[in-house]
Amino acid sequence: MRQPGSPVIGLEIHVQVATESKLFCACSTDYIGAVPNTHVCPVCLGQPGSLPVINGRVVEYAVRTALALGARVGKSTRFHRKNYFYPDLPKAYQISQYDRPLAEGGALPIGEGENRKEIPITRLHLEEDAGKLVHSAADGRLGHSEYSLVDYNRGGVPLMEIVSEPEISTPAEAREYVATLRQLVRYLGVSDGDMEKGSLRVDANVSLTGADGKLGTKVEIKNMNSLRALERALDYEIARQADLIRKGESVRQETRHWDDGNGLTCGTRGKEEAHDYRYFPEPDLPALVLPDGFVEKQRDIMPEMPWILKERFVTDWGLSLQDAAVLTELPGLSRYVEDCVREGADPQRAANWIRTEVLRVLNEKRIGIEDFGVPAENLSPLLVKIDRGELSTTLAKTVFDRMVAEGLTALEALEKIGAPSGRLTGERLRNVIERVLEKESSAVEEIKSGKDPKGKKRGFLCGQIMREARGQADPEEVAKTLSRFLGC
Amino acid sequence: MNRLQMSAADLARAVKNREVSAAENVQASIARIEEVEGRVHALLTPLFDRALEKAAQIDQKVGKGEDPGPLAGVPVIVKDNLCMRGLKTTCGSRMLENWRPPYDASTVRFMEEAGAVILGKANMDEFAMGSSTENSAFFPTLNPWDLDRVPGGSSGGSAASVACGYAPLALGSDTGGSIRQPAAFCGVYGLKPTYGLISRYGLVAFASSLDQVGPFSRSVEDLALVLNVLAKPDPADATSSRRERPDFMTFLGKENLKGLRVGVVSEFEAYPVQPEIKEAMERVQNILREAGARFSCVNLPTTIEAGLPCYYIIAPAEASSNLARYDGVRYGLSVEARNLGDLYMKTRGRGFGAEVKRRILTGTYVLSSGYYDAYYLVALKARTKISREFKEAFQDVDMLLMPTTPTLPFRQGENVEDPIQMYLGDVFTLPVNLASLPGLSLNAGYSKTGLPVGIQLVGPQWGEGTLLAAAEAVERVLGKPACAFGGV
Amino acid sequence: MAVGEEEVRHIALLARLHVTDQETEPLQRHLNDILEHFERLKGLDLVNVDPFAREDLDATPWREDVACSWEGREEALSEAPVRDGDFFRVPRILEGNDE
Ligand SMILES: [Mg+2]
Ligand SMILES: [Zn+2]
Repeated sequence: MRQPGSPVIGLEIHVQVATESKLFCACSTDYIGAVPNTHVCPVCLGQPGSLPVINGRVVEYAVRTALALGARVGKSTRFHRKNYFYPDLPKAYQISQYDRPLAEGGALPIGEGENRKEIPITRLHLEEDAGKLVHSAADGRLGHSEYSLVDYNRGGVPLMEIVSEPEISTPAEAREYVATLRQLVRYLGVSDGDMEKGSLRVDANVSLTGADGKLGTKVEIKNMNSLRALERALDYEIARQADLIRKGESVRQETRHWDDGNGLTCGTRGKEEAHDYRYFPEPDLPALVLPDGFVEKQRDIMPEMPWILKERFVTDWGLSLQDAAVLTELPGLSRYVEDCVREGADPQRAANWIRTEVLRVLNEKRIGIEDFGVPAENLSPLLVKIDRGELSTTLAKTVFDRMVAEGLTALEALEKIGAPSGRLTGERLRNVIERVLEKESSAVEEIKSGKDPKGKKRGFLCGQIMREARGQADPEEVAKTLSRFLGC
Repeated sequence: MNRLQMSAADLARAVKNREVSAAENVQASIARIEEVEGRVHALLTPLFDRALEKAAQIDQKVGKGEDPGPLAGVPVIVKDNLCMRGLKTTCGSRMLENWRPPYDASTVRFMEEAGAVILGKANMDEFAMGSSTENSAFFPTLNPWDLDRVPGGSSGGSAASVACGYAPLALGSDTGGSIRQPAAFCGVYGLKPTYGLISRYGLVAFASSLDQVGPFSRSVEDLALVLNVLAKPDPADATSSRRERPDFMTFLGKENLKGLRVGVVSEFEAYPVQPEIKEAMERVQNILREAGARFSCVNLPTTIEAGLPCYYIIAPAEASSNLARYDGVRYGLSVEARNLGDLYMKTRGRGFGAEVKRRILTGTYVLSSGYYDAYYLVALKARTKISREFKEAFQDVDMLLMPTTPTLPFRQGENVEDPIQMYLGDVFTLPVNLASLPGLSLNAGYSKTGLPVGIQLVGPQWGEGTLLAAAEAVERVLGKPACAFGGV
Repeated sequence: MAVGEEEVRHIALLARLHVTDQETEPLQRHLNDILEHFERLKGLDLVNVDPFAREDLDATPWREDVACSWEGREEALSEAPVRDGDFFRVPRILEGNDE
């Protein structure tokens, strides 16, 4: 039983699915900044006689998300109509899923180590977005506007609604949950997860456990456009409800809006009319049936989940949690670091280099790792050289910059910056060795007269040769050639 | 032969063989309309200029030796709930009095691609709700055989047009009998196809799970001809079947009906119908028996008991949602209002007629919380049961023979004040929609007072071919339906 | 269970239908007549009957995710009862008006 007064939070998250076209018509989903009412057609304008036809990619992406959450994907599901009047809803109903959603159950793991916790998922379903209202008032607010303008560009954009069980206990946990979910959808490439742009919208249900241990009255909070806003809104709302209860007042069941500027939630002043959405099965859409093998195929093409990778990076490679978190932010990045390690780089060295150098370049160029010009098999030799002491970190950075700028391999870049071109071998290596042996004649003598049983002097000579070669020689070849010179 | 008596098939052949031009066909139809329309009032919007242009294009095609299509130069009337781009599509409602859809219905496109020339938009009961065309917001259409009587509905304008010889073909829509009943009342053929055979894209929805577009004609061959044009899978309609369609012409020209098993429904036999309809039933039964068909009785107890209430829950429920989009924001009527709520109430209060309001309220009621389970859900279950009952009956028979209506065409105003009485007239037609079956109404003679008597053939899903073959056998004996007003 | 006048008004509000005082009485009467007719359904044995069995329908088809623009936009906007540039315009929205 929960402690009386402890917060109970459930989150409903609408995630915009990253497709080219809308959920039920071929209009573009790229509405941001578009001229109003340009990405429209008879279907998403609710023209009489028009009919919806579902976008298959939305189903693929939603199934992948459901699988990542460990949810049960329904073989045959259906759509319902949710009926209500509002000008941004052109048919006066939203096509959504009701009693048979695409997926049910599953969980999202949040936190690390001691704080690790699984937040159970209730359901994941598909629905269409509404259009956008622009209010005429100078402050852009509804209450002060003489009239409003409607833009249907966003209407019909595909959404996944992901509903959690009310098992989130603190605002910080709620924040962590949303951050993890956002990372997941980005990781899967099914959404850009941008809260500010509205492609990930969070509604929170908050109540405080009553003295009897039962759930208190639920308040829904909307309009939180960042993780920070979410946490602040929940903090505020929990305090507000606790205050009401302390004063012996009751919490009203209502929807409240978060006002980020003033740092408070406020109820809609008007009368809360009882909702009656009159849900009923959408007669224009037959059952959504996943073909045999469809779910399995989606599972096969999914990347390893970021939280599993993260754990692996920590336990197998000994990386710090922070390093692991950064490297598993996107599947491209984790694939890159794995490739580097497979090519021979030390994991910690690769992690450091990617976090600092690679991400710096990506940020500067505003590109993703997919468009990064230095493939893992080119970076890896550079990292190996640093580890072997063949290259100083400073020199390596210069080499790296050349690799990035000109798309070169490590060796090509080394050659270009005037370091002995390529590997020193043969004649050029012998010349270097001769020079060193001349300078270090005493050491040579000692070795030749057998006064170096532990090979210390020999090692010293090798080091001198490598330094003279600016690291551009193969240590084994150096050792062999040196032996030939020394005759032993 | 009088051109107005010619079938679409004959007209198209004549155009293709350059015996007659499309322009001449259209001119003859226009002359006929101008002669009769003042008495019948079948058309809401004549499209004569456009039709003459289209006819000229067909003639050019023929002149150039191009294939002008299977309906080359055939005049056609289209019910006013099928969208035609840039042309008024009123649905018989004040709500859409001046609406010009920005797109074409798929069926309109199919017809025009096949060379048909659309002459005008036909009157109808508002939003296809009604059985008499008295619910048109503009004017009632009169029965060509007795101007004191109704032509049936809701496709009364289409049926009357074909009966008067405006055109050999017309399109209507049938949700609970709206093609078959007016076909019976006007003495022509009317076919309601299997649900999913013909695209609904661009048909302004009344009840989406029941609506089907279908043809009127004065010859069985024309039904087959136009089915070949209309019955295509349409990717714009998710309920349009993807199965391959037969060549419907191949069902014609059968020498006899040997092996055809025809059922009569015991419960329908016991139902009180007017004696002249009973006589017509016997007449058709004898003809089919002569042609080689074998008769047996089948039972449809649930259908007769529950069909009507089931229909009058499901159809209004869907309609209440489909008609919610008429809110004065994007198209159609919009009444000056102080605020949004006011706009909705006033626009919808003024735009809809009494019958539409009645059905919207009924539909809203049966879907509202507290009543959904008691009414809507029960009706859905009853629908399943009715479908199953038909399916079982079609194990034993290939086709059912039943009256189209329990009465002959009634007088104008006779049922206006008693909606239930009006609904009872659909008792034989609406179960066919509930079970997604094809139904064909044929003219089986006339009453002593000269009123047409319709008889209905009902097949299993995709059984249109059987219905065509049987109708043709009757046509061979009784002749093709006559034109009203002597056809001259 | 007869539907009262208040209920008719409530449903009319849900449906956003203004009904005049003269309309209310006949609408109420008709609604009750129809509901009475629905009572026939109560006698049916519907145990184990699936309400959603539209078995006759193929599974819903999937569209390919290809975006294309529509050329009828200007026509659609020109149908707007109140057009405001690129927008459809609606009168003042009272808060709490969203049902
Ligand atoms: Mg939602
Ligand atoms: Zn669209």
